[in-house]
Amino acid sequence: MAIAEDQRLANPLVEGLQLTRRPEPCAMVIFGASGDLTKRKLFPALYSLAYRQLLPEKFGVVGVARTEETDDEFRERMKAAVQEFGRDDFRDDVWKWLADGMRYVAGTAEDGDDVFVNIDDTLTEFDRDRGTSGNRVYYLAVPPPAFETIVKGIGKHRSTQGWTRLIVEKPFGHDLESAQKLNTLLHKHFDESEIFRIDHYLGKETVQNMLALRFANGIFEPIWNRQFVDHIQITVAETIGIEGRADYYEHAGAIRDIFQNHLLQLIALTAMEPPIDFAADSVRNEKVKVLKSIHTPGPKHIVRGQYGRGYIEGQEVPGYREEQGVDPSSLTETFIAAKLFVDNWRWADTPIYIRAGKRLARRETTIAIEFKRAPHPPFEELAAEGLRPNVLLINIQPDEGVSLAIGAKVPGQGLQIRTVHMDFLYGGAFRTDLPEAYERLLVDCMRGDASLFTREDEVIEQWKLVDTIVAFWRRDRPSFPNYAAGTWGPPSSDELLKRDGRSWRRH
Amino acid sequence: MATTLVTVSAIERKLAELRLSDGGSRLRTSVMTHIAWVPEEWVEAAEDVLAGLAERHPSRTIVLFPQSGGDGLEGDVEGESFPMSESLTICTDTIRIRLHGTSAEHPASVVEPLLVPDLPVFLRWRGVPPFGEPAFEELIGVADRLIVDSTEWPGLPKPYARLAEIFDRVAVSDIAWARTSRWRPMLASLWPSIGKVERIKVTGTEAQAQLLVGWLRSRLGRSIGLQHKRSNKLVGVELDGEPAPFPPGDPPLPADLLSDELDKLSRDPVYEAAVVAAVT
Repeated sequence: MAIAEDQRLANPLVEGLQLTRRPEPCAMVIFGASGDLTKRKLFPALYSLAYRQLLPEKFGVVGVARTEETDDEFRERMKAAVQEFGRDDFRDDVWKWLADGMRYVAGTAEDGDDVFVNIDDTLTEFDRDRGTSGNRVYYLAVPPPAFETIVKGIGKHRSTQGWTRLIVEKPFGHDLESAQKLNTLLHKHFDESEIFRIDHYLGKETVQNMLALRFANGIFEPIWNRQFVDHIQITVAETIGIEGRADYYEHAGAIRDIFQNHLLQLIALTAMEPPIDFAADSVRNEKVKVLKSIHTPGPKHIVRGQYGRGYIEGQEVPGYREEQGVDPSSLTETFIAAKLFVDNWRWADTPIYIRAGKRLARRETTIAIEFKRAPHPPFEELAAEGLRPNVLLINIQPDEGVSLAIGAKVPGQGLQIRTVHMDFLYGGAFRTDLPEAYERLLVDCMRGDASLFTREDEVIEQWKLVDTIVAFWRRDRPSFPNYAAGTWGPPSSDELLKRDGRSWRRH
Repeated sequence: MATTLVTVSAIERKLAELRLSDGGSRLRTSVMTHIAWVPEEWVEAAEDVLAGLAERHPSRTIVLFPQSGGDGLEGDVEGESFPMSESLTICTDTIRIRLHGTSAEHPASVVEPLLVPDLPVFLRWRGVPPFGEPAFEELIGVADRLIVDSTEWPGLPKPYARLAEIFDRVAVSDIAWARTSRWRPMLASLWPSIGKVERIKVTGTEAQAQLLVGWLRSRLGRSIGLQHKRSNKLVGVELDGEPAPFPPGDPPLPADLLSDELDKLSRDPVYEAAVVAAVT
């Protein structure tokens, strides 16, 4: 049972009750309702939220896309999507509740204002029949070229009562200039507090757990600095190729697909100072400071790669240039590695090595904090040959968890030391399924909590860094492909660490 | 029998499931990933040794069975717990994968996603490794240490020449070498008279004979003749016709031999020199 937010304060009976905090009534409009994201992520997330009664009690959702479709056809299509991609069992009563509040509006940019009039009519109907109170969440799950028309349309028709929020999917621009232009466009119609730039990595439990790990435990934060940390390694590795998205990927490459958003966000969360509280702006203020202090890497500290033919799970897979829709002489990078420095009091001279790519040997997203060696191990050299430095490993996928490598004595005669691995599987400690990132982020937006969304200045800092790197790259022609699918990237990526007497973590 | 898993991601999911379903601790320790490459003719022998291994090395074991023909892979996963005391249980998982077609030629792409992160990888290769072939080359690229038993190799000492070529790429352990470990201290105790030995006669396996003479040649820095009398155990060494005393103690068990090698992490220069000298 839920009790409305405004009644909570006045109601003395609420004290001590465990109540679900449901967001205020609102209507959601999804632009790009026939797209992959809506099918794979958004509707399964909405269904799971409905399943747990986490959606507003008064709710409705409008799908907008080019395809001509009736409300019922839209419902059928989304029902199939939820059944295929949802994480919960399919319950007719839950679906019926959600489906009752589903409408579809067909339209393209060429239809001009008519589309927005139609959307507006539907929303007014929702306000009247479903009590959505003029509150709106607009979700832009469309390619960037469509942004302008939609943003203008929404701006023109925005509701005069209640609140309006706009969720913008990546890519947020393709360089600094376009991102700034996009910001200017958005700000013409929306206040920064109404704009929610989504980076679904931030919705993942382990990423948020990073904050808990660092700031809820007295033992980590005191050693989380240049004095104790030797270096940090962040890996975002995928085994999949471009999955038919050549159009997008040819222009994006690994740097815009992963580095600009997910990777830089992971760096920011790992390196940031403790925020004074978890209010949206406190956290984001700290994150943006990190992004600002990332030293622009020189060309020697950046490696790019592109996969050629190779093997994944024992099966031969084509090289990037052979993928459908890709230019056979494409210079798009599918791998990036870099050595970065955060120039501040805490991290000066502590390298952060990052790498991200497609068609690598294993799917994993990890942050590894490698600590300095014990200053003088009082063991015989031979006895300690199996000893590696302590590593705190934060596993973001596939299995969310934390592990710590520590040196321990091998039982028996003498004092032989070797590294053992204490492995804490996050899902195992709490008897609850981990929510999907999109569930968390959708509810946060409905509640108006922007902590896990990217702010304007973060995006700007991210693009500044990307633009400098891309400018270096324009100066030469790489000899691609330079790594085989199913390996850990080009040899130059290993050399990047070897030069410093380090190596990538073993996998 | 569990259902067959046909993709690496299905195997990964099964491993995660196993971990969540065991009622015990969510905290787990492991020390390594152990890969075994087991061609058809070695299946039985391999299973026997593995049975004794799990208790001593909390690890993930990946047993690969290359098959001729067909396509794709078939895997199954088994989790085992060994109660050590009331409050302590050692958990291991064993993944068995039959590799068909290209996956048998490119096993690294199957194995890499399944390694326990950050821990050393040991590769046990049954029979003579196919030096230079992609499957072997790929797997030693993944492994920190290769464990062979040259007792299993026909045509010695010739294959030692190929083995010596990979010393710079991967640390090597040879169980045949471990099987001479009682004899070497005893022979060393015969110094200085053994320093003048011209030829030795070894009653034992071909591998033991070759490695012992290689060891003496490389340590003493000169050529020494070898006479070999076949036996499935090392039972006697003669130095210039004089029988050497029998070393004390019992010969180690097969699971112990493998287990001891799994405690070693770096290269063994004395063994490497013995291998090189065995072929010269």
